[in-house]
Amino acid sequence: MAAVNTTGPAPYIYACTRMRVRKAALLPREEYMRMLNMELPEITRFIEETRYKAEIDELASSFSGVDLMENALSWNLAKDYQKVLELVPGHLKHFTKAYLLKWDIRNVLTLLRAKIQGASVGKIKEIQIPAGSLNRTVLDRLDSEDSTDRILDGLKGHMLYGVFEREMSAAVESGSFARMENELYKAYYSILLKEAKSGVKGGAAFLKYVRLDIDTKNLETVFRVKGESDGEKIRELMIEGGTFTLDELVRFAGSDSLDEMIETIRKKLNTEAFDSAFEAVKEAKSSQGVEIGLIKAKLTEMDRISKLYPMSVAPVIAYLELKSYEVSNLRALARGKESNLPSESIEACMVV
Amino acid sequence: MALNVKPTRSELIDMKKKIKLSERGYNILKMKRDGLILEFFKVLEDAKKSRGALVEGYDRATKMIAVANTVEGSIRVKGAAMAVKENPQITLKEKNIMGVVVPDIEASSVRKTVTQRGYGVLGSSPVIDDTADAFEELVEAIIEAAEIETTMKRLLDEIESTKRRVNALEFKVIPELKQARDFIKMRLDEMERDELVRLKKIRAKSQAK
Repeated sequence: MAAVNTTGPAPYIYACTRMRVRKAALLPREEYMRMLNMELPEITRFIEETRYKAEIDELASSFSGVDLMENALSWNLAKDYQKVLELVPGHLKHFTKAYLLKWDIRNVLTLLRAKIQGASVGKIKEIQIPAGSLNRTVLDRLDSEDSTDRILDGLKGHMLYGVFEREMSAAVESGSFARMENELYKAYYSILLKEAKSGVKGGAAFLKYVRLDIDTKNLETVFRVKGESDGEKIRELMIEGGTFTLDELVRFAGSDSLDEMIETIRKKLNTEAFDSAFEAVKEAKSSQGVEIGLIKAKLTEMDRISKLYPMSVAPVIAYLELKSYEVSNLRALARGKESNLPSESIEACMVV
Repeated sequence: MALNVKPTRSELIDMKKKIKLSERGYNILKMKRDGLILEFFKVLEDAKKSRGALVEGYDRATKMIAVANTVEGSIRVKGAAMAVKENPQITLKEKNIMGVVVPDIEASSVRKTVTQRGYGVLGSSPVIDDTADAFEELVEAIIEAAEIETTMKRLLDEIESTKRRVNALEFKVIPELKQARDFIKMRLDEMERDELVRLKKIRAKSQAK
């Protein structure tokens, strides 16, 4: 349970204003369009002139090219998130910490997969982003462990330890972390819902965000498994607690009439933000196109919630989400340029 | 050219039989060769299409893996690939095209649904689905191309050997048989003339006495 805030509204106003200022400083669409026409060294140079300068300068002696970009972006993201955590007061910190748990899932799964694939500790360190509760020191310790049992021991006390413990042996035995990954994300969302409904002040705004995130994830899954008939398997992939019940989601996934399904979803969501994503589904665009549409819809809705609850966790999470997409956009640009992908393909991978 | 044949009447009959048989064989083989060539051109069209699909599929798969690495990073992409449990099963059967045994390849479990692929859906991006789709399409195209191109190769081999046989019959076996037949005929005629001259001489000698 979070500490009761006794310092009045000032720290909240300060933190939320700071988040809005940070959000305004994120790279606009025009900058991405300019970068699409640049070569990798030019992009690195361009990034160096923005808020990523410190990290680029710090890592320039150890890395070059796309590795330099990736590491600098990861470092910056992790540092930025930790700074936000320091900045936000009371309940906001509590909710933000819970929200950032997903980075722990990502980091631990990356570590486990990389260990199975025989990647070096240095490589694992490069691709982890210590933006969650597991900081660099803890992750370094986990990275250097040789056995999964010792990694599991290192996770003792973590909010998701129960799921790790339950799923680890089967995952290691089979070499696939798919089930574990699904279970971890489901546990993550159930933690978020629990925190949002715990009665702490400001929970309503957080709950709106969590529901929106669950809805987006569930809709993405529905569109990905559309046409499959195994209801049980589909049910296992859905997250409880959103606008739609599990039965509805399974029905949507198995529905023959796409228009009917989309109309039902649209009516229940009662927002126009998802319309472009639905259009992408109707036009049978790639899954990636649908995903980008859903993310954009989520961000639009989050922006709306953050305006509806200006002194809550909503502006904080809206900023954190936008920041993570800025980093993934820049990473996509760097990797895409390295792979000689055409600008249109790189643009299609970005959330701008 | 010295021919190792006995200039006898039975040999001549035998030779004529051989020529008839060779000519019949030559006609049949020529028809087979023409038939095989027709069949080959049909397969060639399919092969062109399948090769086009293969190249297209390969380009798409290469592009998609680059996009997946761009969005997800290589470790996550490899992790998703390693999650696949059920590998495609290939069943090799045989079918017959004008006496040529060609493969008939049947594949199962190439196309999979998202839930059958085995990677974590909640933690992965749909770009992984698109990449998996692209590679499944590529595997299908490879299997189809393998079947068609092997068929084409076997047909070509058969056309080549039939052509060699036809040519051997047309330019070697039948001419040699005909030469042998003519030689026997000529020898028999000569022997007949010898006999006639000998008889005439004997008759003349006996009349002179």
